[in-house]
Parts: sequence; structure tokens; C-alpha cells
Amino acid sequence: MSKEEIRIGVYVCHCGLNIAGSVDCKEVAEFAATLPHVVLARDYRYTCSDQGQALIKNDIREYRLNRVVVASCSPRLHEPTFRKVCEEAGLNKYLFEMANIREQCSWVHLYDRKAATEKAKDLVKMAVAKAALLKPAREIEVPIIRKALIIGGGVAGIQAALDLADTGYKVYLVEREPSIGGMMARIDKTFPTMDCSICILAPKMSDVGHHPNIELLTNSEVVDVKGYIGNFRVKVSKKPRYVKEDCSACGECSKVCPMTAPNEFDAGLALRHAIYTPFAQAIPSTYIIDMNLCLNKDGVIVCDKCVKACERQAIDFTMKPETVELEVGTIIVATGADVFDPSALPQYGYGKYLNVITSLEFERLINAGGPSGGRLIRPSDMKVPKRVAFIQCVGSRSNKTGRTYCSNVCCMNTIKNSLLIKEHWPETEIYVFYVDIRAYGKGFEDLYKRAKKEGVIFIRGLPAEIIEDKRTRNLWLIGENTLLKEPYKMDFDMVILSVGLEPRKDSEVIQRLLTLSRTQDGFFMEAHPKLRPVDAATGGIFFAGCAEAPKDIKDSVTQASAAAARAGILMAKGKVTVEAITPFLDVEKCKACGLCTRVCPYNAITLNKELKRIEIVEAACVGCGTCAAECPSDALTQNYFTDEQIIAQIDAVTERDADKKIVAFCCNWCAYAGADFAGVSRMQYPPNVRIIRTMCSGRVAPKFVERAFARGAAAVLVAGCHPGDCHYINANYHTQRRVERLWKKMEQNGLNKERLQLLWVSAAEGERFASKIYEMQKIAENVTPEEIEHAKKVFQKSGGA
Amino acid sequence: MPEKFWRTPLDIEKISKFKAEIHILKDQCKGCGFCIQYCPKKVLEESDEINARGVHPPRVVDEKNCILCSFCTAVCPDFAIFVKEKQCKDGC
Repeated sequence: MSKEEIRIGVYVCHCGLNIAGSVDCKEVAEFAATLPHVVLARDYRYTCSDQGQALIKNDIREYRLNRVVVASCSPRLHEPTFRKVCEEAGLNKYLFEMANIREQCSWVHLYDRKAATEKAKDLVKMAVAKAALLKPAREIEVPIIRKALIIGGGVAGIQAALDLADTGYKVYLVEREPSIGGMMARIDKTFPTMDCSICILAPKMSDVGHHPNIELLTNSEVVDVKGYIGNFRVKVSKKPRYVKEDCSACGECSKVCPMTAPNEFDAGLALRHAIYTPFAQAIPSTYIIDMNLCLNKDGVIVCDKCVKACERQAIDFTMKPETVELEVGTIIVATGADVFDPSALPQYGYGKYLNVITSLEFERLINAGGPSGGRLIRPSDMKVPKRVAFIQCVGSRSNKTGRTYCSNVCCMNTIKNSLLIKEHWPETEIYVFYVDIRAYGKGFEDLYKRAKKEGVIFIRGLPAEIIEDKRTRNLWLIGENTLLKEPYKMDFDMVILSVGLEPRKDSEVIQRLLTLSRTQDGFFMEAHPKLRPVDAATGGIFFAGCAEAPKDIKDSVTQASAAAARAGILMAKGKVTVEAITPFLDVEKCKACGLCTRVCPYNAITLNKELKRIEIVEAACVGCGTCAAECPSDALTQNYFTDEQIIAQIDAVTERDADKKIVAFCCNWCAYAGADFAGVSRMQYPPNVRIIRTMCSGRVAPKFVERAFARGAAAVLVAGCHPGDCHYINANYHTQRRVERLWKKMEQNGLNKERLQLLWVSAAEGERFASKIYEMQKIAENVTPEEIEHAKKVFQKSGGA
Repeated sequence: MPEKFWRTPLDIEKISKFKAEIHILKDQCKGCGFCIQYCPKKVLEESDEINARGVHPPRVVDEKNCILCSFCTAVCPDFAIFVKEKQCKDGC
């Protein structure tokens, strides 16, 4: 390798006052200029602006810079921007490094300018130390299969499927229910325009059924996903319908079927037979046999009434479940949400009082195709109620239920439903008990006003309790009107609980299959809340509809079209580059022990036993670096996160005042993102922590921790995703194993093992990260100089400092 | 898989009930018990009486539960049981 002179340019960004407000950027730049290999250091107001970018490009040419360090925001935000700048100036993009002095410095130390400036200097020093060791790298290109998988056939999945199919891509739409349509098919009218829900959905459903580019897989579930962006191999388990596609949906079979069960589609308010179609507009219209209900469930034909009734001989009891294997380039997750079960709130008596119903039951009752033919009736006596109460925020915005978020749709849904009652039975007295009415969308406020004008009465303050009159089955609502500050006790014929939305109970299945993250609420987490709201952090995967957060039909459709466009961009390009952070094997050092093959979550490394050699499949590698941490003979080197680069960062941190500092290793996806989130939320924490970013906590080799202690660090933090949430399937289990081994070693050598902490923190848990730093600050303060010296001695050999 | 719901479906009365007439030819029965064992709705049970062949023939527990699947007829080795739909005018 040629010994070219290393020339580093450092740019300290003010970010307006976001950084300059609590960091002396000029001082940091002056300090940077004194660092080895730095030939140029500037501070600049907005480095990411066009002018800032032009400045860097110019400097690269003029000063012959061959490494660039920008100290500004999180690399999760602008690393791609500056990498592109370098590339445009003819510099390999892997010769760029970022120092995060905004999210992880100025924003979290708003009121301590001195400490923040010192920390910023350290962070720049670390980045420069790493930059000096950076090597150019070339990215490999992977072709993208021009087919998409959409999981979930609600309105979001339907819209995404149609958009992609119309663009010309092959689409597989997988739905677990017998029909597509989802929640929207069960709703009577939509707000704010009062369109009939199924009337506007059914044509779209029918389009999906007939589209030449869409292959519809209903009664099916995704059971396995392998591969990576552009090249997913998916297994779908297709349960048998026991009715062939020859079915003309005449319904004769259903008439003769002796077995009945509550129809899920009608929220259990009506019966269906064992052979049935969930609703009239179902797509596919082919009937289905619920084999758990059918008399022939044990494999013996006990009853053949439906077979006899079927003129087209479409019934086939011998159908078997099959597994369909698909190869797709992109995946859209449109799995929707579940509805809160109000029986968890005993004060409302749902499940006990017949006339307390949920908003979903209401939709079926008011629907002309529903069990009561569109007559709103009290379940106790089938009479039309004269006084109706709606209770808002049932299972939303409540610490008690654990669902602290707003479900977004219930306010407007109630307003719409109150108007529907007024439309059919204008004399009905309607009361809405609410916390806040949120009519934020287009046309929402008008609808709210209309409801008030029609005489719907809104009372602020949810009832504390509902008591049933045993004789009349009427319901007494007791609570406080918080605007008038006076108690109320009112009786009603019927109460409708406006239930919230919650994440699917089996979300973790999809989460695990696709290695996704979820927010604290349990909904799937997008790659960036503002700028990449439909992308998953995992490449090639997108979100649509309520899977990402509760939303109404319009927002679901909007997001679905956005997701389709995002997936379409990838597929139109036809290829994708894989970040060059894959491992490189030093054949001389490798002893072919095979330890790396055991830790690779993607089976991208294999041991060729015949040749006694390790083989790396670069396209399958996603760059977690766990293998490099596991290798006992240092034969594996992860590009851009090499041992020597990380050690250079550790050394830079521990050069001065090491005994006061906490060295933190954070994984890019959860812990580092969590620390960023703490910054975005301006959560303040002690300034003596220095974060070193790795892609996965699995990259943190024990020797890094040992190095930090050998160099006199007060404390070390290793932070990664929660077990089971790891971005790299299970790589963080290796982190845990390694940290446990280090703890043991510390104990055996009489060291306080509290000085090494392991933290699982998600990208949404900024607070958890901040409080951990507070906790560690106390530990660091109590470490005596003797203990520091002792640790230095213990780890001297292995840490090699 | 049928979901569990706490509420009684509103149309439970409207769904047509089957009106079955179960005929047991008691003396033809050899007491194998197949009809009792295989009836999906458990409409039959062993009776106390002893028939001409010296065994306990089945008896009907509740005719209303019969769904006219006629599986008893299919499994009976002795042609001793059959089911007919009740042909009634009014009030049954």
C-alpha cells in the first residue's frame, strides 16, 4: 500500500444556534486544527447547506484533502449527504467521518457551555483519530427482484397493491382472513364525507381480484422471510378453503349447513355457518369452510349436505394446506391494528351490561347489511334507543390501560356516528362524554360543528362508572363535568364505548420475520419520523396503514400510495448498492476455527471443510460485525469499523481525564438512535459520556472494553437493542454473553463489576438512555484512583494499552 | 377458527332450526354403540331397556339437537336407525 500523506479537513457546524448555542464552535475548530494530520479546520454556520457543501468540495480540491470530518448532527441524519459531497469531489465516500455534536452534545448539555465544548472537542478528536485510519471501499451492487409482497389486505394493502400493480410490477397480496377488505369493510360510513364505506371499497377490492399483476393469497400467512433488500425469499402458508374456485357464490351450501358460530365480521352479533362467506362483497367471493366448526373436522365425512347442495361440485374436503414460496424485491407491511377490548375496564361493564356496546358493534348495527338490517337496536330488548351516550378514549390516552397514545380516529368516528343516528332517528338525544375533541383534519371541524348544530351534546369528563338498572336495562352514567366542575348522573338507553386501536397482538411475529423495530406503543417504527415516515429501518421494507400508527382511511391510503412509490423507486432502479461495511478476511491469520460461522445471524460466513477456509457471501452479509468481534485471531476486519479504528477512538477518549469518563459503545439502530432521541427531546444528562458507534452491539469485542479500562476509563457502557428486537436477528445475544464473561473476569480480579454496564435500549427510549448515564455518572464518581490503577493492571495484557 | 364472543347473536332465533324425527328399530339393534359414539351432536345415549337381542338399544336424549346429518344411519351395521325431517304443518 502506498504511503500517501494523510490530509484531514474538519468542519465544525454551528447548525444555526442548535450547536453554537451551547458549544463554542470556533474554539472546537481551533482545537481540531492542532490534531495530527489535520490540515484544515473550519467552523461554518450551516454545513449541510448548498454553500457548505460547495465549501467542502472546494477545499477537497484546493487543499488536497483526502479525509473529511464533519462535526454536526447525527450520522443517522446527514452521513449520506456528506458522503455524497465527498464522492462528488472525487473522494471515496468511506473516507468521510462524522462527529455527532448536536444530538449527543449540544442538545443534551444545553446549560453547560464549557463541558459541552470540551465534549465536542473530544468527539472531534475521536472522529479525526478514526478518519486517519479510514480506507477507501467499493460497494457491491445487488440486483432487485421486480416483484413486491404486501402483507395485509385492508384498505392500505389494497391501495399499495393496486398502485404497484398499475405501475407494472408483479404483486403478491397476502391476507390471513378469508377475504380482503380489513377494518374498512366493516365500517358503515366514513368521515367526514359520510360516504358509504363498503361502496367505495368494494370496487377497489374487485380490482385487486381481477388485476393481472396481482396474485391474491387469502387465508394465508407469511411464515418465513429470508434474504435482504431486493432479494427476499418468502414462505407463505396457504390454508385450504375446501371450496374450489369454481364456486359461484350462490350460497345454497350455507343454507343447508347445520353448524353455526358467531360471525367475526359482524363482531359476533350475527351467526354464520361452517361453510360461509364473511360478507356479501367478499373478495375472493369463493365460499370457505371453517374446518374447526365443520362436522367433518376429524377427517371423516359425517355430513355432506353442502356437497349435495353445490351444483358446481366446488366442495373438496381433501384440500391440504400448502406452502407457497415467493421471491420478491420489496415488502410492504400493512398488517393493521387490533381494537381495544373494553372488558379490561370493569367500570364500564362491557361484557356484563347488554346495552353497553363498542363502536365496532355500533358500525355493524347501523349498517344496512348488518345483523339488524341497519336498525340501531338495544341488544336487551331490540328496541330503538331514545337516549344514547358515547364514551370517548376507551383504551386510549390512559396510563391505566397502558395505552397512552391517542388513537386518532375515535373522536371523528363518534361525531360521524352521532350524525348517523340523528339522520335516521332525529328525536334521539345524544350525549358525548369526552376528554378533548380532536377534529384536526380536513373537513373535520365542519362535521364537529354540524353535530353540535344537530343537537348532539358534548360533555367534558368521562364517567367514572356505569351502573345498570336491572329492570329496564338502562344505564346510569356517573361522573364529573370538568368544565362546570359539577357531578353528573344521567341515564341512557344505550352506551357506545369509543374503543381505541392497539398494535396487533401478534405483531412480534412480523417483527421477528422482518427484523423490524417497534415504538414504545408497540406499533412498527419508521426509519425517520419526519423524512422517512414509510420506510422501515430494514432496507426494502415499507409500512402502510395502522401497522405503523393508528390512522384514518385517508391517511392509510395516502401512506399506502407513498409506500408503493417508495418500493417502486427501488424496483425501477433494479439494483441496490450494499454498504461496504462487510468483513474482510486475512487468510494468513485465519485458523479456520469456524467460530465466526456460528455467530453470523445471516449464515453469510461458511466454513469450507475441504479447503479449511472461511468463505464470505458479501451479498448476504448485512454488516453487523459480530464475526469480527468473535474472531480470536483477528483475521476478520469489518470495513469502516475496523479494530484499529475503534481502538483509535477509545484511545482518543482516554487520552486525557480518562478517570472521569464513561466510554459507551452503542449500536446504530437502537442505542445510538435512542441517544439521538434523547437529544432531539432535549433530555439533559451528564456530559462525561463519549459514544462510539458500531452497527451492532455484537461488534463490541471484549478487547475494546478491556482497552478502555486498561487506559483508565472510569466506566464502560455497552448498549444495544432489546433482546428479540436486534436489527441483526440475534446478534445481541453474543453481546450479552461477552459482557457476562467480562463481568466474571472483573469479579475474579476484585474489580467492581458495576463499572461495566450493559443496557438494552430501543430507539424510542431516550429517557432510558439518559437515566442510565445519570446512574453511571454516580458509579464513575465513586471509582477511586486505586481502582482505576488496579483495572489498568488487570486489563493491561489483554487490552494491550 | 370461530372466535369467542360474550353476546348472544341477535339472529339466533331466525336461523332455521332442524326438525328431526329419529327412528330407532330397537329390536334390530345389536348394541354396538356406534351411533352413540359417532353422533356429532351427542343426541343418543344407551337406554336401560333390553331388546329382543338382549342388548341395550340407544335412546334419544334431545331430538331438537339433531341436525339430520344421518351419520348414525351410515355407521349402523344393522340398519336399525334412520332420521327423517319432520313434516309438520303448523306449531312444531
